[in-house]
Amino acid sequence: MIGRYIAESFKRGTVQLVRRPMYFLMMVIVPLFGAWVLMDLMDEGGIHRVPVAVVDRDDSNLSRSLLRTLDGFQQVSITHHCKDFNEAKLLVQSGDIYGFYYIPDGLEERALGGHQPVVSYYVSYAYYAPASMQYKGFKTISLLSNAGVVRTMLRTVGLRDQAIAAKLQPYATHVHTPANPWLNYNYYLSTSFVPCLFALIVLLITAFTLGSELKSGLCRQWLAAAGDNMVLALAGKLIPHTVLLTAVGWLMQWMMYRVYDVPLNCNPWHMLLAMPLLVMANQGFAVLMFCFTPNFRFGSTLCTLMGMLSFSFCAFSLPEEAMYPWVQAIGYVMPIKYYFLLSVDQALNGIDLYYSRVYYAVLLGYVVVPLLLSWRLKHECMNPVYVP
Amino acid sequence: MKQWLLEVYRVWWREFRLVLRDEGVVIFFFAVCAVYPVLYSLIYNTEVERDEPIVVVDDCRTQLSRQLTRRLDATPEVSVVSIAANMQEARELMHRKKCYAIVYLPRDLSQAVGSQRQGHVSVYCDMSVMLRYKNMLMAVTNVTQAMGAETMHHAVEPVLGGAPATVVESRQVPIGNTGMGIASAILLFVLPLVLQQSMLLGIGMLHGGSIERRRRNRGYDPMEERACVSATLFGKMMCHQVVYVLPVIYVLYFTPMMFDFPQNAHLLHTLALAVPFIIAVSFMGQTLQAFVNERESVFLLFAFTSVIFVFLTGVSWPRFEMSRFWYTIGDCVPSTWMCNGYVLMQSTGATLAQIAHPLKMLWLQCGVMYVLAYCVERFVSRRRYRAWQQSSREDANALQRYDLVKNGIG
Repeated sequence: MIGRYIAESFKRGTVQLVRRPMYFLMMVIVPLFGAWVLMDLMDEGGIHRVPVAVVDRDDSNLSRSLLRTLDGFQQVSITHHCKDFNEAKLLVQSGDIYGFYYIPDGLEERALGGHQPVVSYYVSYAYYAPASMQYKGFKTISLLSNAGVVRTMLRTVGLRDQAIAAKLQPYATHVHTPANPWLNYNYYLSTSFVPCLFALIVLLITAFTLGSELKSGLCRQWLAAAGDNMVLALAGKLIPHTVLLTAVGWLMQWMMYRVYDVPLNCNPWHMLLAMPLLVMANQGFAVLMFCFTPNFRFGSTLCTLMGMLSFSFCAFSLPEEAMYPWVQAIGYVMPIKYYFLLSVDQALNGIDLYYSRVYYAVLLGYVVVPLLLSWRLKHECMNPVYVP
Repeated sequence: MKQWLLEVYRVWWREFRLVLRDEGVVIFFFAVCAVYPVLYSLIYNTEVERDEPIVVVDDCRTQLSRQLTRRLDATPEVSVVSIAANMQEARELMHRKKCYAIVYLPRDLSQAVGSQRQGHVSVYCDMSVMLRYKNMLMAVTNVTQAMGAETMHHAVEPVLGGAPATVVESRQVPIGNTGMGIASAILLFVLPLVLQQSMLLGIGMLHGGSIERRRRNRGYDPMEERACVSATLFGKMMCHQVVYVLPVIYVLYFTPMMFDFPQNAHLLHTLALAVPFIIAVSFMGQTLQAFVNERESVFLLFAFTSVIFVFLTGVSWPRFEMSRFWYTIGDCVPSTWMCNGYVLMQSTGATLAQIAHPLKMLWLQCGVMYVLAYCVERFVSRRRYRAWQQSSREDANALQRYDLVKNGIG
């Protein structure tokens, strides 16, 4: 008897999945397309040659050599030479440049006379990523110029180069970033945003498919096919989705780790295992939302709201320690947060599976929790009311 | 002409009533615009990160190494949460996410610096979040540079006789977003995008409702105002324009005020930019609505596009680094021009004349989107309605049967 119900509900779920082209579009085309867009957009990996201007009021030997060195840097590219501050400011305002380097009158004269002239760099922080690149470039050139002048002075008094280096820079700082030695922006942004986009799509599809049953009023048939067993009905409906979505998720992982060469420092199985868990956890989350609000529009709105905000709540760009505690807490409500943490541990840092055990377990937990509340959904399915 | 204006007016009035009567659309047009900007702003409202936890492994154990540790701890960027006995212990702390960087001070640090050789300081960073790395790097570099400058001054002074250690001083002047906060940078991009996406969702949902009514009524929509294609498009656009007056002012003017983001734009200038933006988005919505077959599928079809549109504006990855292809795709979306124009006005205080290019592009998009919407309405949607009406005349239940089939019955 139970075997017949299982067969019946799986058949129903699969037929629905196959008959709507929208499912194919949203489950296969859109996730792969979205992943490709995000990864291809940032394929350069690093931000180089931020367009900047220079204002050289001194026009001396020293200032010109400074600017030549600055133009040689990969961080910035001097696209405009302005005659005064105002001209450079107007260029920043019209968005042609992102900052400028200002050399005041009498730089060389004051430097050689020991009067400590001040050069300034104006950086527009309206655009965050280019701003930090500019800061790096401008700061380095300022330090270099200083070191250059002092080095010449020390050489003239007869010091050897090695002794000069130790004097100029007593501490050498070595920064090791073992997980991403190239400081590649793509590796960092796409490992968080691509799975999050996928999670959003899983949430939306699950909400849509559950809501459609309630809306069309066919949910009684849906239940009847599973012998009035809500858990079986959910399984019959959602497991075909899980299979297809997991396959698409693996394809995305293949794109990410093999085609775009994002670091994968663990056994590939650790990430492959995480994908079906991510899919099921998000399906579970959507079911949970529907158990809270068994209504098509409210359920979908909740899933969209949480899915969209999880890009920010889950602290992919601003670290979670910097957020308000309640924002941090909401981040931990979303399944994608755990996938992000485990992918950082496993794929990026390649540490022992032991440290990520909790994340895998929590993802699994998202599958179980909605089942405890499924009686609410069942109640709604027995008496469906469609609110447009 | 008079007839046409009358039609525009009637479509406008009908659309207006449809919007206000539809709870779902009211949520998109008003509630989303009211809630999303506030939520986003709250998430990033801390603006900067402070006291990032790091661990020091001090193999040197001298006065110098302790001074370095203390000065690191004193920086606003990082806080030394523990001094580990060895690298293994420090690594364990990092794996457990108790800290996000390890600073290693080798045994010979103090000796090297004291005997005028270079001392080496190693930093191992967690790379999961770029901002964290930048902060930690800044703290360590600033401290070692400051200590280095002091040491250098002592070393150079006897040789050069009193000359200052820094010959040329430099200073950074942040402009635009003077607090260098992340919220002030990101949110100004997100705000116009909220307007665009809520409008697309709302327009899609209205159209979905109309399609559903047609399916129940043999291809006719009883709530539809009969009018020529252009009058329909303009009437709806006028309605969206009127409905969005309040959301635009609230989102683009009052939200920055609430959270103290840069506010250098004049309200009238912002509105002058918003008018073509709303027109372009309205026509864009009326083009994309052709994909919507029922009210709720807008969630599925439009919600995820926000992520792609926000990347195309250049907020996290600057537009000048995009390939020609993606740059051009970005050019085709109204939010790209609106966001960039708005950011320049709000943060750097650009005038309308200075953002003439984004403004021109928005007006150009109004034209292009209108043509697209016209083609879609005339050659896709209306043709489809006629086909439905035709098939319903032959078989009264044809459209309902379609519903059943796609739900897996029959």
